[in-house]
Amino acid sequence: MLKPRLGHENLGLGVGLRTVHFHHILEHQPEVDWFEIISENFMDSAGRPRHVLEQIADRYPIVMHGVSLSIGSTDPLNREYLKKLKTLAESINARWISDHVCWTGVAGRNTHDLLPIPYNENTLTHLVKRIRIVQDILERPLILENPSSYLEFQDSTMSESEFVCRMAEEADCGLLLDVNNVYVSSVNHEFDPVKYIEMIPAERVVQCHLAGHTNCGTHLIDTHNGQVIDPVWNLFQLMHQRTEGVATLLEWDADIPPFPVVHEEVLKARKYMDENLPVRDQASKEKTVTSPSSTAIPHPASFIVAEVE
Amino acid sequence: MSNESRNLDQLQRWMQTVISWPGGVEAGIDSEAAQSEIPLESSELETIVTASSRQTSLERMGIYANAYYARLLECLSEEYSALVSAMGKTAFGAFSMEYLQEYHPTSYTLCDLGAHFPQFLTEHKPPAEENELNWTDFLIEVATLERVYSEVFDGPGIEQETLLTAEVLNSIQPEEWPEVTLKMAPCFRLMQFQFPVHEFISHVRKGNSPQIPEQQLTCLAITRRNYVVRREVVSQAEYLLLSKLQQGLNVGDAITCLAESDLMEPEELGTKLHKWFKHWTTAAFFIDVSKQ
Repeated sequence: MLKPRLGHENLGLGVGLRTVHFHHILEHQPEVDWFEIISENFMDSAGRPRHVLEQIADRYPIVMHGVSLSIGSTDPLNREYLKKLKTLAESINARWISDHVCWTGVAGRNTHDLLPIPYNENTLTHLVKRIRIVQDILERPLILENPSSYLEFQDSTMSESEFVCRMAEEADCGLLLDVNNVYVSSVNHEFDPVKYIEMIPAERVVQCHLAGHTNCGTHLIDTHNGQVIDPVWNLFQLMHQRTEGVATLLEWDADIPPFPVVHEEVLKARKYMDENLPVRDQASKEKTVTSPSSTAIPHPASFIVAEVE
Repeated sequence: MSNESRNLDQLQRWMQTVISWPGGVEAGIDSEAAQSEIPLESSELETIVTASSRQTSLERMGIYANAYYARLLECLSEEYSALVSAMGKTAFGAFSMEYLQEYHPTSYTLCDLGAHFPQFLTEHKPPAEENELNWTDFLIEVATLERVYSEVFDGPGIEQETLLTAEVLNSIQPEEWPEVTLKMAPCFRLMQFQFPVHEFISHVRKGNSPQIPEQQLTCLAITRRNYVVRREVVSQAEYLLLSKLQQGLNVGDAITCLAESDLMEPEELGTKLHKWFKHWTTAAFFIDVSKQ
């Protein structure tokens, strides 16, 4: 029988580490339970980003979240990348390493987007095989996140939730359940997000992501640019009830407000951890943008600008 | 071909081609590269990508296509903010589109995305302008310095190194100095520009909208201290001497090169040398000395 969270600790409520908050965090040492980093921003750094990370890692638990593993690609796995990932994890005592159920490029290219794969037996076999290789190299379970997606393939023969469940069981990996992504994809692909959450094997969920998104009218885009909306909080509550609590993190990557605002947003999760609370009315409104193409960019998009005097 | 048996590799190559095609999804589907993977009319897209009740399959593919250039352009704009200011957003966007087609992103990190941008601009400099300095040269120089800033900022530095001390330098006997070679800091860069691009970049980073400056030969010594990139203007004479030391010449030979350059009068050189070396050591341009 599996231990809850595959034996990982429930780290509490964390925040995605972003460069605009470096100074605040170092100066004020806020009472945050933990931080998640974008792995690729630090793997090769020999400058301030890495220096700041080391200071923060001395004080807070760190989790590594990648955006370029490309586990679903048909390109060979990048072993040099995996080696660097492992080295960084060891040096900052990362609690776990996560990435996404997606591919980011093929034929040697990287689109820097989290692209969807068809969900069928062939792709399942492909992913499971690659996850096992990665886990052997990293010498630890890989934690994979359900992505937000904006299209589905005719080649799919199973739902995303079925695919993710089977992938986790067959590859013996962990799951990072992004409840905002579940919501975004459920609207875009017209499935029931509650059934999705209910289907996920609770003991394999190591971590949860929360984020804001943009409603473009005909579809939602995972922009990480605002507050978490009520329907997503309700999914979080369901996830919390099923898992009995996992490390939970808020991602805020565009129009990033001051650190206390971001921190306050993730602390709202406490309200939904009380199982006696009724599920809130899902009628809360969110703004719909009228010209989404100019502003709504699905994340990831994270570049660190040089500081010059 | 049955749905499930369609080759995943083909599908990924096809999708990558279509969403990164500069002319849009339909043009991407029609492109030779996409057709070689999956022969398809754009009207048949639904055989690959499903529609939703609110979006066609074409619109759904369009989300990824729009995001591809928007995301990468956003990152390039952040790294090359002064170049955006100098070129204007529209021209920068157009150049970036061409750059991304010529230099496809291949790295796992976005830090490498703009690595070839200065080279790309140089390669695309209009041929008629080859022998005269103008706006294009200025743009290339801005891009070059912005990229150097990025590399110095996140590359190897000297923050964890033991720096040269006065004791070490004082231990070198005067007669030994000509034979001494100096090891430059790994973050040290010596650059020469035809325009004062450093000032232009600084103004932009402070939120100003500076005018394109007049041509002015500008030599810069760039390094990093306490994890922040520092740059200072050096004279042509300093530039020459530092460049010779950077090439590995010993102090005596480097000074000889400078003395033979006519950049300074011999008596002026004598008074300047001590001051320069003292400052360069304090600024940690050098991190070690060796006596041959």
